[in-house]
Amino acid sequence: MSEPILETRGLSKAFGGLVALDKVDLAIEEGKISAIIGPNGAGKTTLFNLITGVYPASSGEIRFRGKPLNNTPAYKRAALGIVRTFQNILLFGNMTVLENVMSGRHPRSRYGFLEAALRLPKAHREEESISLNAMKYLNLVGLGAYAEQNALSLPLGQQKLLAIARAMATEPQLLLLDEPGSGLNILEKRELSDLIRRIQEIGTTVLLVEHDMPLVMGLAEWVIVLDSGQKIAEDTAAQIQKDQRVISAYLGEEVE
Amino acid sequence: MIARAKSKWPYLVATPLLVFLILIPFDWFLGQYTSLMIFIGIHTMVTVGLCLLLGYTGQVSLGQAAFYGTGAYISAILSKTYGVDPWLAMAIAATATGAFAYVIGYPIFRLKGNYLAMATLGLGIIMYILFNQLGQFTGGPDGMSGIPYLSVGGFAFDTAFKRYFLVWFFCLAVLLVSQNIVRSRAGRALRAIHGSEAAAESIGVNVDQFKVKILVLSAVYASLAGSLFAHHMTHVSPSSFDFIASVKVVVMAVIGGLASVWGAIFGAASTRILSDELLLTFGEWDIVAYGAILMLVMIFLPQGLFVGLKNLFQQLRLRYQRRGAEA
Repeated sequence: MSEPILETRGLSKAFGGLVALDKVDLAIEEGKISAIIGPNGAGKTTLFNLITGVYPASSGEIRFRGKPLNNTPAYKRAALGIVRTFQNILLFGNMTVLENVMSGRHPRSRYGFLEAALRLPKAHREEESISLNAMKYLNLVGLGAYAEQNALSLPLGQQKLLAIARAMATEPQLLLLDEPGSGLNILEKRELSDLIRRIQEIGTTVLLVEHDMPLVMGLAEWVIVLDSGQKIAEDTAAQIQKDQRVISAYLGEEVE
Repeated sequence: MIARAKSKWPYLVATPLLVFLILIPFDWFLGQYTSLMIFIGIHTMVTVGLCLLLGYTGQVSLGQAAFYGTGAYISAILSKTYGVDPWLAMAIAATATGAFAYVIGYPIFRLKGNYLAMATLGLGIIMYILFNQLGQFTGGPDGMSGIPYLSVGGFAFDTAFKRYFLVWFFCLAVLLVSQNIVRSRAGRALRAIHGSEAAAESIGVNVDQFKVKILVLSAVYASLAGSLFAHHMTHVSPSSFDFIASVKVVVMAVIGGLASVWGAIFGAASTRILSDELLLTFGEWDIVAYGAILMLVMIFLPQGLFVGLKNLFQQLRLRYQRRGAEA
């Protein structure tokens, strides 16, 4: 196996006495779709928060393309190529659909207050490429027709797609999706699967947290199972469904 | 690339307004309101800063008068006591006030919401006390008089008529700069922070830094306004920069429309005209009428006068077009 795009070693996070994540070793292979599953409270979102720098790890190491990430502030990780979506979507309600995606171009553009205030040519040039690229990613998720609408006027399913477009606009190398399928109907889930495969084809590595098993099993090439903050198994989707530890984590042990 | 509809309506509205603005100070037109309009211009500059800070970025400040007063006093002290050229004094004041905002910005933005409001409130009160107590520099509660006018070469801005154009030049410059910022990458970052700080950070926005930058910009606006105020009045005293002054900035921003740059003019104008002209007929009851008007605006035009009127205007236009199509 080539060098993993993302690697964690002994990654732990404790909130006071509660150990949310306990010495987790991960290696996410580049170009693949990987999934993290596990019952509620298993530490899946905590793991995402550590990878994206929402809070610091208690101990252990995170490496992105071999470089340590622990001391990189959250906002710089987007520029490095690690971008996430949120369980609760968190669109910018004070903007249009297109502006939401345009804001995703932030780490891929440079001009600041001064160039903007004086309308210098640099601002104009960059702004043109920002809206051009934003439109490209909006079309990727199929929301081009809604560009000028307010972001929160979209139905939930499209809001989730918009959040993915916003994240994709940063041109991530590693895209973290936090429960992208929750609240979607079967049709929307199928569209979501297609979209995630298209994202993989662009060359983006995808890591998702998901509760919906059919979605995960149909999509993920590698599945990692967390339970009570510990990694209890990882394997291909087909193998993981037969894994006794996984079954008991979800369904409980049989009592003899 | 999507075609952004370039409407000609903004120009159709803006051009007559600009002509109107230029004609106001002439005696045969509305010359008696020149002084009032100068204050409206000065207040607009302070209000725009708060619109960017509160309306766009979502960070409250109840202490904008601190920056306004700092600008006014630095200009006054440098130009009067030390004989510095008023323009240079104004530039030094803006730089110093901006630096001051930068220094307090990082610690103050560790706070959010109500706590941020309290901290900025405290800032305003502390500066007010300093203006009063640093008597050997500021002249204490009586303030200082004899502040020189601004002048270019041999041309002194020594009449209200001349200062009207000076103040509105600065005011429109500040409005244009703000509008450009709002519609830029930085403007989107600010609105992203307002929308969700977690999401803004996830797409690479340095949240703390942008908050501080916009505070600095609003402080520089307020400082420039304060300097213009000092060189216009030729007299400053602490009472212009008390807690009520900060609250009035918030009122102007809210009435004009928090998330609209041009609304600041409407907010400053309506607030000032109400308190200086119309409400005087209510005598002691003016504050009650003032409060009632504020409530009515909040109930019926929650986005402020500017956006409210703009929407009304658009509705009328649509209705007019529809009638035209039917006929």
